Amino acid sequence: MHYQGDYSWGYYMSTRSIGSDPMERVVKLASEKAVVIFSLSSCCMCHAMKRLFCGMGVNPTVYELDQDPRGKDLETALMRLLGNSQPVPVVFIGGKLIGAMDRVMASHINGTLVPLLKEAGALWL
Amino acid sequence: MANHRVGETGLTDSGPSSNHHHHHHNIPYAVLHGMNVPQSFMHQEGPAFDFGELEEAIVLQGVKIRNDEAKPPLFTAGRPAATLEMFPSWPMRFQQTPRGSSKSGGESTDSGSGVNTISSKTENQVEPESPISKKTSSLDQQQQVDMASDISRTGTSQNQSAAAKTPQEKRRGSTSEKQLDAKTLRRLAQNREAARKSRLRKKAYVQQLESSRIKLTQLEQDLQRARSQGFFLGGCAGTVGNISSGAAIFDMEYSRWLEDDQRHMSELRTGLNAHLSDSDLRIIVDSYISHYDEIFRLKVAAAKADVFHLITGMWTTPAERCFLWMGGFRPSDLIKMLISQLDPLTEQQVMGIYSLQHSSQQAEEALTQGLEQLQQSLIDTIAGGPFIDGMQQMAVALGKLANLEGFVRQADNLRQQTLHQLSRILTVRQAARCFLMIGEYYGRLRALSSLWASRPRESMMSEDHSCQTTTELQMVQPSQNHFSNF
Repeated sequence: MHYQGDYSWGYYMSTRSIGSDPMERVVKLASEKAVVIFSLSSCCMCHAMKRLFCGMGVNPTVYELDQDPRGKDLETALMRLLGNSQPVPVVFIGGKLIGAMDRVMASHINGTLVPLLKEAGALWL
Repeated sequence: MANHRVGETGLTDSGPSSNHHHHHHNIPYAVLHGMNVPQSFMHQEGPAFDFGELEEAIVLQGVKIRNDEAKPPLFTAGRPAATLEMFPSWPMRFQQTPRGSSKSGGESTDSGSGVNTISSKTENQVEPESPISKKTSSLDQQQQVDMASDISRTGTSQNQSAAAKTPQEKRRGSTSEKQLDAKTLRRLAQNREAARKSRLRKKAYVQQLESSRIKLTQLEQDLQRARSQGFFLGGCAGTVGNISSGAAIFDMEYSRWLEDDQRHMSELRTGLNAHLSDSDLRIIVDSYISHYDEIFRLKVAAAKADVFHLITGMWTTPAERCFLWMGGFRPSDLIKMLISQLDPLTEQQVMGIYSLQHSSQQAEEALTQGLEQLQQSLIDTIAGGPFIDGMQQMAVALGKLANLEGFVRQADNLRQQTLHQLSRILTVRQAARCFLMIGEYYGRLRALSSLWASRPRESMMSEDHSCQTTTELQMVQPSQNHFSNF
């Protein structure tokens, strides 16, 4: 699991030219890695989400929004994207929005999650 | 007034008449001033010092005061104050009138018994020189009647004894101090006797209360058990016990859902036996899936209203509750149960079922770990260290508890998805058999709960048990087919 919450913000600061709009930032961050989870460090459903992917052998990239100086904006953008009041946890695979926990569960049970992960290069075998 | 209860033993007087001069200095402060001396509440043996002397001393005191003051009767409703009734053998200070008339009888008229007429009759005979023996016999009579009728009364035993004392008191008021020795001693002895009997009555009553209380809690437990086993009277749900309205509503809906479940299962059974076409069977199977979709919908609302009711499994039967996971069945367990019975399966189907089992296990594990983190976070919030800002900590904890709803919802979501996926992997006939198996399995678990609850214990006769078992079975399963598959 890669935590982009604390030491890497310098890198993102330098690319601020495209990152000022929160929604754009979300999309940008989501497309940079195979599996991206937006989370809050205090949220236990986010913890469940992280455990799910780790349990499958996936190495997701996690953004803890409460440790981001502009996290609040990102949360708002995610809320708009998802259309509900719970911005986290939310998963992007291969840059594509999968959704919150219920969608992730459903896709895992109906067998569509693993092919997506393989397609994005997050899973082998 | 001192607590006269404390030292009474019987009729024996330990203090001779010459010792009735004031021994107040020997008396503990608390006792002298009428404070409660609880350690000897039910004590039948007297403590070291002589209460007989105390009694006499204070009686004389009372006599003197009465002779000094001419106080009108103090009682209002014809009943002594409740606290005074606690010391039954103590002379009632406010009994001023020598003629008690009906009021002295009214003293003990809490429950208006015939005893009072007897007492008023005896008390109305105001003779300064009335023989002790006559009074003794009348008092004994009164006390016997008291004992017979008094066990179930609340606190009136003291009234009776109190009333019984009043004639003595009135007599005392009119006799000279020289005559007090013989009569007074005997009366005081009777006091003690009556007080002892009164204590015994009180003890019996308290014991009765205790056993009733135990019976009550037993009944409440039985009721709770009966309700959770699905023998549910829809109308009385919300009014019984301390069940929230959201929980009560859900329990009602669930019991209705169970009835529907029976109906669907018999449809599946007849559909399979009748060898319906696949399309016809598909309709039945789809309606069974919608039937399950409905309970998951109901559980969403129930989780919002009362998540603890769901998560503790109080809506299920004990045997189901034993295997409960996050407010319902564990999907991987269900698949494990089905795997052996779903033969014959194609290789693709086998792979599909095993992959379903695997992914549901992973999802269950993830949710379980999330819930564990919630628990840990809750513990950290409310436990350990000084409770610095109580309200703040509680508010934070409440916020965390609210997450429980989300976990139960995700668990139900998982259950729902699993059932849907099963119907996708299997053929129509296989799916019909599969859902029938699921329904029967939970039906048997529920029956097991009932049988367990009515299993023979030491106190039950074997004949009674067999009758009860039959009735239980009949009540639980409308059709007997379930047990043919055992």
